[in-house]
Formats: sequence, C-alpha cells, structure tokens
Amino acid sequence: MTALLQISNISKRFGGLQALNDVNVSIARGEILGLIGPNGAGKTTLFSTLVGLLKPSTGSIRLEGREIAGMKPHRIASAGMVKTFQNVALFLDSSVLDNVLTGGLLRHSVSEARALARHCLAQVGLSDIADKRAGDLSFPERARVEVARALCTEPRILLLDEAMAALNHAEMDEFLALLRRLRDGGLTLVIVEHHMKAIMSICDRLLVLNFGRQIAIGTPAEIARDPAVIEAYLGRSAA
Amino acid sequence: MKPALKYALIALALAVAVAVPFGLEPRGYATRILCLVLLFAAMAQAWNIVGGLANQMSLGHAAFFGIGAYGSTILLVKYGISPWLGLLPGMAAGGVAAWLISLPTMRLRGHYFALATLAFGEVMRLVANTWGGLTGGPSGISVPFSKPGLAVFQFKDMRPYYFLMLAALLVVTAIFAGIRHSKLGYRLRAIRENPSAAEAIGVDTTRTKIIAAVVSGALMAGLGTFYAQFQFFFDPDTVFSIPAISVRVAMIAIVGGVGTTIGPIVGALFLIPIEELANQTFSDQAAGLSQLVFGLLLIVVILAEPRGLLEIGRRLWRWRGRT
Amino acid sequence: MIAAIQALLDGLMIGGVYAVISIGLTLVFGVMGIVNFAQAEFLMLGMFTAYYAWAWLGLDPLIAAPLAFAVVFVLGAAVHHLMIRRVLKAPEVAQVFLTVGLLIVLENAALLMFGSGFKSVATSYQTSALHLGPLFISVPYLAAFLMSVACGAVLWLFLERSWFGRAMRATAQNPMAAKLMGIDSDRMHRTAFALGVGLTAFGGAVILPYLTVSPTVGDQFVVLMFTVVVLGGLGSVAGAVVGGLAVGIIQSISGLLFPIQMQNLVLFVVFIFVLAIRPEGLLGRAR
Repeated sequence: MTALLQISNISKRFGGLQALNDVNVSIARGEILGLIGPNGAGKTTLFSTLVGLLKPSTGSIRLEGREIAGMKPHRIASAGMVKTFQNVALFLDSSVLDNVLTGGLLRHSVSEARALARHCLAQVGLSDIADKRAGDLSFPERARVEVARALCTEPRILLLDEAMAALNHAEMDEFLALLRRLRDGGLTLVIVEHHMKAIMSICDRLLVLNFGRQIAIGTPAEIARDPAVIEAYLGRSAA
Repeated sequence: MKPALKYALIALALAVAVAVPFGLEPRGYATRILCLVLLFAAMAQAWNIVGGLANQMSLGHAAFFGIGAYGSTILLVKYGISPWLGLLPGMAAGGVAAWLISLPTMRLRGHYFALATLAFGEVMRLVANTWGGLTGGPSGISVPFSKPGLAVFQFKDMRPYYFLMLAALLVVTAIFAGIRHSKLGYRLRAIRENPSAAEAIGVDTTRTKIIAAVVSGALMAGLGTFYAQFQFFFDPDTVFSIPAISVRVAMIAIVGGVGTTIGPIVGALFLIPIEELANQTFSDQAAGLSQLVFGLLLIVVILAEPRGLLEIGRRLWRWRGRT
Repeated sequence: MIAAIQALLDGLMIGGVYAVISIGLTLVFGVMGIVNFAQAEFLMLGMFTAYYAWAWLGLDPLIAAPLAFAVVFVLGAAVHHLMIRRVLKAPEVAQVFLTVGLLIVLENAALLMFGSGFKSVATSYQTSALHLGPLFISVPYLAAFLMSVACGAVLWLFLERSWFGRAMRATAQNPMAAKLMGIDSDRMHRTAFALGVGLTAFGGAVILPYLTVSPTVGDQFVVLMFTVVVLGGLGSVAGAVVGGLAVGIIQSISGLLFPIQMQNLVLFVVFIFVLAIRPEGLLGRAR
C-alpha cells in the first residue's frame, strides 16, 4: 500500500507553546482517517500546517511522494489537498453558487467551473439554494457549502474540520453517506469530529492527539480500549 | 433588473452620450467639462479595479497617471513620437511601476496599504520635480502644437476630444466589467471577502492582486496620456497631485458606488460638474470653495451611505415603492 | 565629522517636535483604531491659532502653544462627535475617506478664512544661536524642542498617573474589558481624539517661530507624520517618540548626502520599506 500522504516528525511551536510535537502518520489512498483529541490538542493546528496556512517548525509532509511542507496554501491546494475551516469561511457577500464556483477555478474556466459547482452542490444536497447569498444561510448549510466548495477544487485528499457540527441525526446520516460515496469515488478523507458515534462508524483508523502529541493510532476498536486514550479523555482516575 | 431592460438602458445612455456634444457649442465650456467628466470617470474606473474589486484602497494612483502623462509627452517632445505610439510605452511603464510598488505592499491591508501608496505617489512627484533634465522639473512640460488631426492627437475644437474620452471610458469600463466576470474577478472577490479561505482553495492571492494592480496602473497611465494631450501643459504637482488626482479618483468611485461598474460614471457625472460649477461661480471671490464643497460632499455621502450614491438611489427607489 | 555631529544634533532638535506632532496620530489609532489622514491639518490650525495670537494679542507662539492646544482640543471634540464616532464600526474604506474628506474641508476652509498667503511671526530670538565649541544650536529650534519635551512629559504623567489616562490606555489595550469595568468608551474616544489633535496643534504652535504658515502647510507633514508613527509602530506612544527622533535624524543626515529636494524622498522610501517589512513598526506593536 503506497501512502498518499506521508507526515513525518511534524512539530509546530508558537513561542513557548509546543502546539504539535513530533506527529507521524501515513495515510493511504481511499482511507478515512479520524483525528480526535480533547480541545486544544492540536487538531486544527495540524490541519492548518498540512495545508500550508501555518509553516511547520520541523518535519516533512509528502503528498504523493512530493515534499509540500512550507509551500503556500494555493500550491498545496493545486497539488490536491484542501481543508474546510472549523468556523466556516465562506465568501459571505457572494451567492452559494459563486462560492463553490471559485473552488472550481483552480483547474477550470469560469463556465466549466460553474457546471462543476452545480454538480458539487447536488452532491451535498444544496442544489435548491444555489442562488441564495451565503451570508443568509444557517450554520449547517454554510458548512455543507464549504464542503462543496472544497470538492469543487477536485482534491485527492480532503480535510474536514468539524463539518458535521450542528447537524441533526438525519442530516448526519446523510452526510456520512456522502462521505462514503466520496471515498468510493477515490477521495481520501481526514476528519476532525467531536461526535464519537459518527467518527467510530465511518473511520478506518483514528489518530489521537493530546497536548500536540500523538498518543495513539489504530482502528476504532483498538482506540476504544487504549488506556492512554481513556486517560486523556476521562482523566487519570478512570485509567 | 431584467437583462433586456438593462441592455435597453445601456443603449439609451450611449445614444445620449453620442448625441449630447452635437447640441453643445463645439469649443464651449460645457463640452470641455463633459470631456473631464468622461476622463475622470475612466480614471475612477481604472482605480475601481484595485480599490473596488480587490478592496485595496490606493491613495497613490496619481503615480501611474503622471507616468503615462510624462511618458508619452517626453517621447513626443524629445523624439517626435506620436502620442498614439507613446501611449504604449507609457502604459507599460505604468504597469511596471504598479508591479514594483505591489511587491512590497500587496501583503498590506486597509490603512497600511493606503499609507504606502500615498507615499509612493509622493515619491513619484518628488522624482519628477528633481529630475528636471527629463521632465522639465517644477516648471512643467508643454505638448508642442502641430497641425491638428487624429494622427497627432490634437484638434481644433472639443468635440473630437469628447469622443476620444468617451471611447477611453468605454474601453476601461469594458475591461472592468470583463474582469468582474472572469476568473480574475471571482478570485479578487474571494480575496476581498476572505483572503485565507481564498488561499486555501487554491487562489494565489499575491499574484491575483498584483495582476489587478498592473492592469489598473497601465490603464491609469494610458489615461495620463489622454490628459496630457487634452491639457497641453502640466507640471509634477498637477499630475502627481494627492488631492487633485489620487484622492479625487478614489472619491469619484466611492461617491458613485465602489466596486460597481457604473459607480465611477455616476460619481464623475455628479462630482465633476459640481466642482467646475463652484469653480466657475466663486473662483474670483473665494479660492478653495469648490474643494470645500467637494470635501463636504464626500463626508456627507460616507456618513449617509458608505456604499455610495447608487445605493442611496436604490434605497430611495424601494422607499418610494413602499409608500 | 563635525558636520555629522551637527546634523545629528539638528536632527534631534527637529525630531523632538516631530514626536509631539505625531503622538496624537498614534494615540487616536491606539485608542480608536482610526488612522486620521487629516491630522496634519490640525497642525496647520495650531499654527494659525498661534499666528493670530501673535498678530492680534502680541503673544509669543511658545506662550500661545497651550492656547492652540485648547482651541484645537475643543474643535477635535466636536469633529469626533459629528463625524468620527459615526464610522468607528464602518468598513475601513469609510474611515479612510471620511478623514480624507475632513482633510480637504479643513485645508480649503483655511484657504477661505486665512487666504492663500504665507504668514510668519517675528520674535526677538528668531535668528540667534547658541555656540558649543564648533557646534551651534539655533534658539528657535531649541525652544521648540524643549517645549515638545515638556509637553511630552506632561502627557506621560497624564497617561501614567491620572485615572483618566489609565482608563484611556485600558480602552486601547482591551476595549471589551474597559467597557465591563464601566469606562465610557465614547467619552474615552472623544477625549483621545481631542487630545490627539490638540497635541499636534501644540507642536504646530512651537514650530511657528522658524516656519511660515499657509493653509497648505499640512501637505508637507502628512507623509512625514505617518512615517514617524509607522517607524515606531502605529498605536504606540513611546514608538512615536523614537520614530520622531529617527525621522529627524534621517532627514538631517540625508540632507548632508543629497540635494535638499531629495531629503523627503529618502524618508518616503524608508517609509515604504518599513511598511513592507515590518508594518507593526520597528519597536513593534502588532495589530
């Protein structure tokens, strides 16, 4: 199995704070990897570092064998890796369609991107609100628009930062089905999510971060009985 | 607005624009004012590419304007090159200047960008004043008279200037509208609304902003040539002026409606005649009154509706519809 | 060597004044987040106040400086109330062009009121100089410098020691927390703006003995004042002092090396590069 994304010895320091400390993981093509950990564990920092919004202090990131650590975000996006933002970062004054279309411009002309954007909106089930202003949408809708926009860049690997927050049960099931379809279409996914049941059901493997350090990696079943993980989540007394 | 109605309105506006000079005295003051309206609308439109689409508030566009005015005029005076040919190196120089100033300033936003471009305009003014051997220094430079004709960009009366200015405005407006609906336009909008999100989905934010700046600077320089041929005489303090060029073009776009295609045209139609009228009426009694009016209008529009006259008009329209 | 030391000394003298006229700009930005493009026009108004105090009342500009401060302070409070406070939450484009509009209005109102001519005062010490061995110090420059230092010291005491000054600094550092502590932010902003433009006017008055005043005198100072505050870090009062001295010295040293017109050119190029490389200023206060 060749790794699509090879993360080696990634560390990130902010002044005196060690936000990431020697993270190593190799992600296979078509895999769904879950990234979990308590608040402040470094999940979002890891995502930002992977897509180039932050520069790693040390370490290497290889996408399809090519070193991308330290590259600018737009170059990493064109190499095939994009992320969605935890707080959702849409172009609020533009229409939903224009938001998604902008992602498509990475590889296509405006008219091709528009067609692709309609397709991506259909994938996330938002075709009927394509002409609404993004700023007028509800939070769960915005999160899905952002996923559509990321898909419109035609990535090899997509990083989703709490894209399922604020979804109700039915919506969540729909969203999980979408992720499975995307994976079956050849997309690799890394997911940060707090909803444990969702993440256990969909992920092939889980990577657990605590205080910037990776404390465990394995299948959901292995992680569920890992003493280090239990301690990190529930405190020392439970271990 | 329905597309059909929109095109009908555009056609009507064009027909009026073409017809108007035939109803006016060809050497008259009114035609001259309209020439300035068209020129300043075009300049504000060029500014609008950077100021409106990229939301980078340049206060230094006089730099490119002056480069174009001096570029073609120096070529004409020293080498006898027609202004039509001189237009091109002038625009190229304007584009290069925009690129050079963009390199250190494009990462800056808001106030900081405004400050840096303000200083750049001043640098150009000082250079033009100092480098007298090339520019004629503070005493200015004159376009030599020749036998009037289209080839030499000189005419006996105002009418041909009017149509050239109208053509310039149409070209710049078409470029602006074209950019708005192109990849560049979508990317600029994305950067304006959320730069890190834009970068994360593959927009090269630095490069995109630089391209916009270069196009804007080159167009501004081209309009500088038009100005030089229209005025026949200028000096560094006029073409590199902060209030008379840099601030005024920004102001026209803002008062009209920043980032919109017709905002600069509305702004110029509104502001330039008011200013000229005030100049004409009061200049003997009180210097500065027209500028005072200009400044007050800017303040009033910004306090009332920072999105400009177009938005005020839209609001009035809606309000009228409700009662 | 003597020439270099002389230039350094001249630079310090001028730089002290630059610091005082620029502190207002940085104070307003620090407290309210507004860059006042019209700041230099308040310098012009301070100069005119001092000029008329001299012409009508026979007051020396150095004595009239507090009067210039007071007049412009009141004007500043009014300008804040009528205009500035209305754009505090508006997009930056509105903030920038509101103060640009104010610049145009003040400059042209002055033109209407005072005429376009250049005006200057006559004082007994205007042409005198102190000699220190091979060096000399022009008395009006020294007087302006000393007045600026005194003014800066009073401001420092105000900001450090008085309740009001502390409240103002608190508002600058954390508007939300200041509000929770019961500080009236509108009153803080009004005072900061009035104080800021008043200080600039004070600086205008003390330089009148060696400069002429006209309605467009502000144009010479706009970019210069911004250079001072950006060098020191926009929003930092201590930075403005360092920036002021630095600009004074850069100006007088480049005066040794380049023709006179090039002085400001050097300054502007320095300015653009500082903005590009360290927009938070050499001393730093990131925002």
